[in-house]
Amino acid sequence: MGVTMSDDLKMQVCELFREKSKGDKKMFYIRDVTRWLPGEDRHAIQEVVKVLLDEEVLKYWSSGSTTYLVLAEFFPKEC
Amino acid sequence: MAKSDTPLLDELEGGKWPSFVKDMKQAAEKNPMAKDLMNQLELSYKEKIGHWKHGGIVGVKGYGAGVIGRYSDRPDLFPNVQAFHTMRVNHPTGWFYKTDALRNLCDVWDKHGSGLTNLHGSTGDAILLGTTTDHLQSCFDDLSGAGFDLGGSGSALRTPSACVGPGRCEWACIDSLDVCYNITMSFQDKIHRPMFPYKFKIKVSACPNDCVASIARSDFSVIGTWKGKISIDQKEVAAYAASGLDIQKEVCDLCPTKCMTWNGDELKIYDADCNRCMHCINLMTKALRQGKEKGATILIGGKAPIVEGALLSWVIVPFMKLEPPYEELKDLILRIQDWWDEYGKSRERLGELIKRLGMRVFLRAVGLPAVPQMVKAPRTNPYVFFWPEEIQKEVK
Repeated sequence: MGVTMSDDLKMQVCELFREKSKGDKKMFYIRDVTRWLPGEDRHAIQEVVKVLLDEEVLKYWSSGSTTYLVLAEFFPKEC
Repeated sequence: MAKSDTPLLDELEGGKWPSFVKDMKQAAEKNPMAKDLMNQLELSYKEKIGHWKHGGIVGVKGYGAGVIGRYSDRPDLFPNVQAFHTMRVNHPTGWFYKTDALRNLCDVWDKHGSGLTNLHGSTGDAILLGTTTDHLQSCFDDLSGAGFDLGGSGSALRTPSACVGPGRCEWACIDSLDVCYNITMSFQDKIHRPMFPYKFKIKVSACPNDCVASIARSDFSVIGTWKGKISIDQKEVAAYAASGLDIQKEVCDLCPTKCMTWNGDELKIYDADCNRCMHCINLMTKALRQGKEKGATILIGGKAPIVEGALLSWVIVPFMKLEPPYEELKDLILRIQDWWDEYGKSRERLGELIKRLGMRVFLRAVGLPAVPQMVKAPRTNPYVFFWPEEIQKEVK
């Protein structure tokens, strides 16, 4: 699929993660992220999220059945 | 005799069937993780409460699936299972291993984990039970070196699985092994990098016996089937009758669509009414053969009860020819996943989404025509809801 990633979008996603993580909630579904940017192409947002995961700005958190996204600095410490 | 530390677990060894407790005790002799695991389970039985904390780390670089974080909530009592992560290893399609591959797998797990395995979990993967966070990457590297890869977990495409198909079974209508392998290799990114609203499972059965139970356990079921008449060898039918098989009672009366008759000399099948249950073919293997034109039926929406109740898959494509490279099949999977990804709520399975928005919306979105085989319960609920413009077209 010919989805191109823009740096603007990447920055927007990062900023939104930071803003939304200011409250108690730190973990988000990918669906939450695409809802934050209703005008943007869903596939482009997913590609951006993948890049942010590669760059370790974001991290996956998985319960085993469901996967969440979390800013690396808020990743829960191991118990 | 010394008093056992695990009297409640010991009870499970007393039954008729082999017990996992015996395996755990064996492993505990050489691995402290297995010993603490056993003792924690004993405590759980005693207190009637689980002592696992679910979720967390997915610690392999580049992957968001295949590792399931588990932690003990009593690390003070059981320090060796403080972290006890599961690794899901993508099984070889049809579960065919050479013994050296199995030995390699076990060697890797003895080196990095508890040595305890679950071959195979209900996902189909080879489940490696219990390792620590600092071993995840090195274990993955060793698994890769031995030719293995991780499977799916979380909100991803789960490891596709298939029955043994033509590898061992004469009823295979499609090459389930090749279909499954092809899908697995084509959708690697969807398996390893979770981006879906929830889990998505694909299972492939080579005939309607559905030995991987794809109809109940997968969002997207591929089940081998045939077109044309079931061929009948009347001599063999007579031989079954002569050997004591009550063809009327055990074959015809149990046919779900009553599409067979037996007059004592000749068996007749009204193929147009056959719904491919395979009962007659399974019972008279020498006398009956499936029709010659082979392909697959595609069904959708099966799931176990988690967020909502259980659903069985229902037909969306009655017959699809399946030949490599399976472009028609993979294109359909992509269209369906894209629609679900667009409209599904978080943690909503595909079947639930179709129930919520309606089958006709789904069919229009993925570009499939409505056909009679889609009616899920034709004899009790024959209603199909058309779009208003289609009704007007018919009236004209």
